[in-house]
Amino acid sequence: MTKQERKKAIIFFSAVALVFMIGAILTGGSGGGEEESVQVVMRDAVMHDVNKISLFGLKDVNPGLIAGFIVSGIMILFALICRIFVIPRFKLVPGKFQMILEMVVGIFDGMAKTNSKHLNGFMGAYIFAAGSYIFTGTMFELLGVQVMTTAGHPITLPAPLADINGAIMMGCLSYLVIMSGGIAGNGIKGIGKTLKDFSLPLSLSFRLFGALISGALVTELVYYYKAMSFVVPVIVGVLFTLLHALIQAYVLTMLTSLFYGEVSEKTEKKPKVKKQRGKKRVTVVNQDPAA
Amino acid sequence: MTGVPLNIDWQQILLHLFNFTILFGALYILLYKPVKNFMEGREAHYADMDSKANQALADAESSKASYEEKEKAFDDEVRAEKTRLSKEIEAERERRLAAARGEAEKIISDARVEADREKNEIIESAQKEITGMVTDAMEKLTLEQTASDAFDQFLDAAEEADK
Repeated sequence: MTKQERKKAIIFFSAVALVFMIGAILTGGSGGGEEESVQVVMRDAVMHDVNKISLFGLKDVNPGLIAGFIVSGIMILFALICRIFVIPRFKLVPGKFQMILEMVVGIFDGMAKTNSKHLNGFMGAYIFAAGSYIFTGTMFELLGVQVMTTAGHPITLPAPLADINGAIMMGCLSYLVIMSGGIAGNGIKGIGKTLKDFSLPLSLSFRLFGALISGALVTELVYYYKAMSFVVPVIVGVLFTLLHALIQAYVLTMLTSLFYGEVSEKTEKKPKVKKQRGKKRVTVVNQDPAA
Repeated sequence: MTGVPLNIDWQQILLHLFNFTILFGALYILLYKPVKNFMEGREAHYADMDSKANQALADAESSKASYEEKEKAFDDEVRAEKTRLSKEIEAERERRLAAARGEAEKIISDARVEADREKNEIIESAQKEITGMVTDAMEKLTLEQTASDAFDQFLDAAEEADK
């Protein structure tokens, strides 16, 4: 591209942006054009007590659940397309797309193997699904999919895990998976080992919820005010979302695989120490020859 | 549900769980397992290639060692054969030389005998020739000169013959 062409392109895009900005200002109302105050919007983003969406007329649910269904649908469709059209054409020397798929699977598989020396086959599959869901779900909010609430006004679907119910599900499920690793590795003792970290489901759930809701709140805040709706969302909306999508996917999968590895590790029997009465000598009995 | 903080709804949690379970199953069957299988297959393929290459290398090393051993044995055999042959050649040479020497001595001895025989024949022939010459001379003297002269001549001739 020559200098002149570049200059023309910059002028063209500046003109388009200016037109959109003027259009946004002219079509708006007095303050921000929003029907709800910022307090209501932000409270609803956390509590989900105002804007509900009807689930096939059966129940009014949080928008995060609908977002979860849509994200799952997109991911399953993508996986199906890959399974039918891409994976059968895999080559020993991979192309770009094959390399990306292999890299993603390899990252989670490697993470499971590194952090959990035992029974890591299931763990790899779980953190692959969880990590992909967190990342894709978080990136989904960038699409700005609009749905109609039961109150009759449109809202943008948030990330599925910005819904407290979704975050609790993910945190508790991860805890159960960790516990299953403990049971598989150590039987009943594994449950005990897992229950020692009883705060884990809470911390996993609320860490995820807090991280995602804070991103959503900042984005809501930015978009609420018209003056901040230009340029700022590029950084706040896109870069921050991308960043915390990656970070949260990494944090949850890393913690889950670490705890899973810890509780599924087989404990060696400690030698019984028997103290003799009246003597200070300590005798070690039943010592495991392998220890 | 009222009274639950943050409007936590157990039914929606279960719906999220149902959603994620389906997603997990689908991703595992459609994406994770096939890709992992492919990667493991490729790893096994290259490991197999590597082990085959190592096996071939080991075979080649073994063949090389075997070949070198055979070559060494062959060299030893050739050396031994050479030594044996050179000894045989030396013996044959000595034998032939001895035979040639014997033959030469025989030839020389035969030649000597022949030479002696020829010498004797020559002497005998010379004596006969001298006798013939003397006889001829006597006859000539007898015919051409008187008896005295013939006698003198005879004596002179005899003296000359003695010389």
